[in-house]
Amino acid sequence: MAGRRLPAAEIWGRFNGCWRHWMSQRKRSRGSGLTQGDDEDFSVVPTQSPSQVQRNLESRSQEEINRKVTELVQFLLVKDQKKIPIKRVDILKKVIREYKDVYSEIVNRAGRTLQQVFGLQMVEIDTKHHIYILTSTLPRVEGENLKQDIQTAKLGLLIVILSFIFMKGNSAKDSAVWEFLRRLRVHPGEKHEVFGDVKKLVMEEFVRQKYLEITPIPLTDPPEFNFQWGPRAAKETSKKDILSFVAKMQKKEPSFWISQYNEAKANT
Amino acid sequence: MAESDGSGDFFSPRGSGSARSRLSLPSASRNGSVSQRRQRRLSGGLGRPPASEKGDEEDEEEEEDEDDGEEPESERPRPPGSSEGGGDERHRRLIRNQYRELICSVQQNREDMLSSKSNRLTEALEEANQLFSGVSRAREAALDAQFLVLASNLGKEKANELRSEITTFDSLTFAEDLLTFMGINRTETEGNDSDSESMSGGYLPSNAWYKLGEEAEKYFRRAPSFHYMLGSFKSEPPMPRQRIERQRKAPGGEEKRAMPAQLKKMEESHQEATAKEVERILGLLQTHFRNDPCTPIFFFDLVVDPNSFARTVENIFHVSFILRDGLARLKLDDDKLPVIEPVQNVEERNDDHSARARNQVVISLSHEEWRV
Repeated sequence: MAGRRLPAAEIWGRFNGCWRHWMSQRKRSRGSGLTQGDDEDFSVVPTQSPSQVQRNLESRSQEEINRKVTELVQFLLVKDQKKIPIKRVDILKKVIREYKDVYSEIVNRAGRTLQQVFGLQMVEIDTKHHIYILTSTLPRVEGENLKQDIQTAKLGLLIVILSFIFMKGNSAKDSAVWEFLRRLRVHPGEKHEVFGDVKKLVMEEFVRQKYLEITPIPLTDPPEFNFQWGPRAAKETSKKDILSFVAKMQKKEPSFWISQYNEAKANT
Repeated sequence: MAESDGSGDFFSPRGSGSARSRLSLPSASRNGSVSQRRQRRLSGGLGRPPASEKGDEEDEEEEEDEDDGEEPESERPRPPGSSEGGGDERHRRLIRNQYRELICSVQQNREDMLSSKSNRLTEALEEANQLFSGVSRAREAALDAQFLVLASNLGKEKANELRSEITTFDSLTFAEDLLTFMGINRTETEGNDSDSESMSGGYLPSNAWYKLGEEAEKYFRRAPSFHYMLGSFKSEPPMPRQRIERQRKAPGGEEKRAMPAQLKKMEESHQEATAKEVERILGLLQTHFRNDPCTPIFFFDLVVDPNSFARTVENIFHVSFILRDGLARLKLDDDKLPVIEPVQNVEERNDDHSARARNQVVISLSHEEWRV
């Protein structure tokens, strides 16, 4: 491992640490060796100690491992195009396959490549089901984005929704959100000249991408929904960032909104 | 109708009967219940004096003509086809419409109502109060209850905002600021749409959202979408491409090799063709003379091909080879027309060789002459 601790390596280092701990627990209770994951069961990654991983590594050629690393990097980059979060199950089934025993090593190296070559990192947004997204680790530079496409416009819509939700206390009812958007000439029932079917964009696409979390409020008829930040929003931006955005738009200092300011400060 | 129901009997079906006789009875029963409800509603802080309600009720007595004055919770089937039913039904429909409008307007303008600057919530409540005085049936009362729920939710939110020291986030001004940032072109427009009083007029340019999105990107750590510059990448195409190239190169080599072979062959055939032709003609001559030894052949008879001028020229060309080689002799006959005859003797052939070599005849033959 490189002497310098990189963020991706840290994440995976922690992951490995958990495995090692769990592994040692199992050893104590079962007194047996390691479980080799079933070939067909891709939901379970075999637990391995570093020494076991080392041994497995030696059984495969460097070339093979590196090829798998490259495949994984490509897979992650392509999967990220639509911003749909990536499941570990898919990674195992489609890329790793028979190299499951060196899964952790492959992922580590892929993470390093992502960081060093692309300035990206793999972030877990769901620890239970092991779902990941890619985020950028590089600071944003002014005037950097030369390609302005529909994704840019959608981000504009997203940031106003996220701002509204945060400033209203981290959750907002759908009626409130839509009323707010109405003032920006965005109507759920009408076809928008930029966004098309806005309702679908907000309620389906943003939710699928994990930018928003929309939950129905029980016992309401007609059904009403609660809007909150999704896990991707939490990782790609922060309360502090959004407050800065609001402050900039309204030409005020972020500290103008006391409770939101305190909340944002506590969040970092 | 009065005989069939008592003041407390709310469950018997009511006929259309004379309304006036019931008038005071329902009013009286309603009075108590209504004022109770009104007071409940008003305890929230509006502080309307109950006295005015009685006045309201009396004013609206005429409207309550056909009302049965039951408690809102119980169900009253209305007998159809009553003569005064039409007016009553219309009136109730009107009330329901008004309620729905009120509810809708409250829902649409939530933010406006919540704003600490406006009194709109109070106004809406007062409007509902007035409407309620016309209500006597379950359906309208249910709408009234719906409105009550809505209004009280808003009231709660408003109260919450007052309680804490936070600076209220004013989404209205936020929306205005966003529009300004997006480059809205505010003009003096009248009558945009029905909500024109709550929305600013103006023209939003087409790049508005893109401009906002560009600003938004600064606040996100989004991984840029990765796309291969030359399109999506698959590992298969390069392989067949190499194979194809290799295959193409192989036949190419053969072709090149075939080319020179062909050329060579053609050149050979050219020469062969000429020689062959010459021999052929010579053969013809000799055959002819064998058949008829004494008559030389008219030159032109031999060479001219009536169907093809080119062929004629070729024939002359071939015959000239024969003459050059001394295998045939060309001479002028009595009519000064050239005749050709093969040379028989080998010795003669050899002797004439040197002598003949120097004689050259130029025959001009044009297309016109040939045709003739």
